[in-house]
Amino acid sequence: MGTILEVKNYSLSFDTPEGEIEAVRDVNFSLNEGEILAIVGESGCGKTVLCKSLLKLLPRNARVKSGKAELCGENITAFSERRMRQLRGKQISMVFQDPLTTLNPTIPIGKQITESIRQHQKISHNKAKAHALELLELVGIDHAADRFNLQPHFFSGGMRQRCVLAIALASHPKVLLADEPTTALDVTVQAKMLDLLLSIRKRTGIAILFVSHDLGVVARIADRVAVMYAGKIVEIGTANEIFYDSRHPYTWGLLGAQPALAMKTGELHSIPGMPPVLLNPPPGDTFAVRNKYALAIDYEEAPPMFQISPTHFAATWLLDPRAPHIDPPIFTKRRREE
Amino acid sequence: MIENRKTQLLKKTGLRLLGFLFTMLILSIVVFCFARWAPGDPLQSFYGDAVESMTSEELGAARSRLGLDAPLHVQYAKWVTNALGGNFGLSLKYKKAAMDVVTPLIGNTLILGVTAYLLVFALATLLAVTCALHEDTWLDHIICKIGTGIYYLPPFWLGVVLVLIFSIHLRWFPSSGAYDIGKAGDILNRIRHMILPLIVMIVSHLWYYAYMIRNKLLDELRQDYVFLAKEKGLTKRQIVWRHCLRNVAPTIVSIMAISIPHVLSGTYIAESVFNYPGIGALSIESAKYHDYNLLMILVLIAGALVVLSSIAAQTINEIIDPRMKETGVSAWQR
Ligand SMILES: Nc1ncnc2c1ncn2[C@@H]1O[C@H](COP(=O)(O)OP(=O)(O)O)[C@@H](O)[C@H]1O
Ligand SMILES: [Mg+2]
Repeated sequence: MGTILEVKNYSLSFDTPEGEIEAVRDVNFSLNEGEILAIVGESGCGKTVLCKSLLKLLPRNARVKSGKAELCGENITAFSERRMRQLRGKQISMVFQDPLTTLNPTIPIGKQITESIRQHQKISHNKAKAHALELLELVGIDHAADRFNLQPHFFSGGMRQRCVLAIALASHPKVLLADEPTTALDVTVQAKMLDLLLSIRKRTGIAILFVSHDLGVVARIADRVAVMYAGKIVEIGTANEIFYDSRHPYTWGLLGAQPALAMKTGELHSIPGMPPVLLNPPPGDTFAVRNKYALAIDYEEAPPMFQISPTHFAATWLLDPRAPHIDPPIFTKRRREE
Repeated sequence: MIENRKTQLLKKTGLRLLGFLFTMLILSIVVFCFARWAPGDPLQSFYGDAVESMTSEELGAARSRLGLDAPLHVQYAKWVTNALGGNFGLSLKYKKAAMDVVTPLIGNTLILGVTAYLLVFALATLLAVTCALHEDTWLDHIICKIGTGIYYLPPFWLGVVLVLIFSIHLRWFPSSGAYDIGKAGDILNRIRHMILPLIVMIVSHLWYYAYMIRNKLLDELRQDYVFLAKEKGLTKRQIVWRHCLRNVAPTIVSIMAISIPHVLSGTYIAESVFNYPGIGALSIESAKYHDYNLLMILVLIAGALVVLSSIAAQTINEIIDPRMKETGVSAWQR
């Protein structure tokens, strides 16, 4: 399995009148062919900014400060707008969070899909339409031919999200950035959407960067999980490693805050406090103030990534040999299906 | 369902037309009364300076001959009866049927007004798109600055300057009239006469609408669907022309419909600056000379244009925009 998307030492800031907002800070990860990598974190931790910046969809006050993103070995961070356009939709696509506002309300969905197809392939209207109908069927829209000329407001949220997915898949991209694609949907529709993504991955071999704030959703779909806090990846590992053997107190916090888990243990451990605003972040670990296991050094110096296994890394001083031994909360050891 | 919507639309349009007739009735009453209450003597325009040497008996006889001495409501009733039969009375100044004075000039005004109107909106849309494509760059800033600057040039002053430069000094364009004598059918000749009035009208309306459309486009560019359009690999141009402009189109159409009176009043100004023989110049004249019958017919024409244009705006909007509420029930009553 080769690496298809690699993000290295990636930092991005917004220049605002109030100062520099460090929305993404020194992020590293790689996405392999056909893999689903989830990025999890509370809202405001920089997930959407990260995805949009990979496609260069951010406003002009956003600035990549360091690092690069490589797609199939090519450094796309240096790409011009023109080259990015050839890439968008063709090599790398994105599905956005709110299906109700993502589609153009006045254009029939069929046309919105064929527009995407014809942007990258010089084919006739009829061929594009045939392809669009196939896509609608692929994403599970029944009676696609009848619905082809309907405007988005005739569709439910779940169906609109499927249409957006069809648009994203129109030119057979290699990578899909799915930014909270199920967050705006109700639970039953959510589950169907996840199954759909899995079946599409199986059929097309597409690699998916799946962004969510909900570990419960991630558990159903991800091969690997990256946990993000305040613009940084604080722990990354296989789904098993994150769910059964996590090492970072923030990951413990997220796991403890799962409603599904609370049903079993009878208590919901939400993380105290709020994620920081990344305007001049304090030195040291930004999570320290919310971390009941914080050490003195956390307030002075940000922890490096410690390696736990060939696939598992976490950035917490607790993994330093000099740190006191701490037993993780018992629920993190619990099996997913008991 | 679809059928239902159509009949609903027809019904609404019918109601609006009834409203139109009612509005015209009220308008005619108001103008009729105000014209007669306004100070000044209509006989002055009928007899000219000869009025001053007429005896009071002669004046009284003239008044009763022209029907000016009857009580107001009787005069109005008579006017309405005649008007319904297509007779709008005599123009006091021109001493022929008011309708015959107006008819030959309507064409001139329409040619000038419609050309200006279409040019204003075509150019406004182009400018707005250019600004939106280059939002917040030097180009956008310069267009905004210049646009605001020229919008505030007084049209009368601009007209005079244009005449000085292009008619008197350079002799490129005539300074007045709609065509040279005997060349009413010569299109090129008419165009030469229209160029300076058109410039005045475009300059005095363009930026107002361009800026409005520009801001609508900028709002639209901030909608979420623009991300999806970008994510498909569309260019900025494609996004603005295919997506944003399309969504703004209903707004532009209603702005266009509502702006008809504004552009019409611009035509009136251009006509009087350039002595262009149209109903605008005529309206101003008829008011000045207390030419009641002429004034009535001109005000009613302008009023009809205004009301019909707003009916058109609403109807067009409902047809174009599928999001418009279909039942016509207020959001507070649902
Ligand atoms: N255009 C912008 N200008 C300044 N700051 C921004 C902008 N967009 C996002 N941010 C900042 O980036 C941070 C991350 O936001 P986001 O990526 O949307 O979070 P998430 O998707 O994880 O919920 C937020 O704290 C926000 O303040
Ligand atoms: Mg987000």
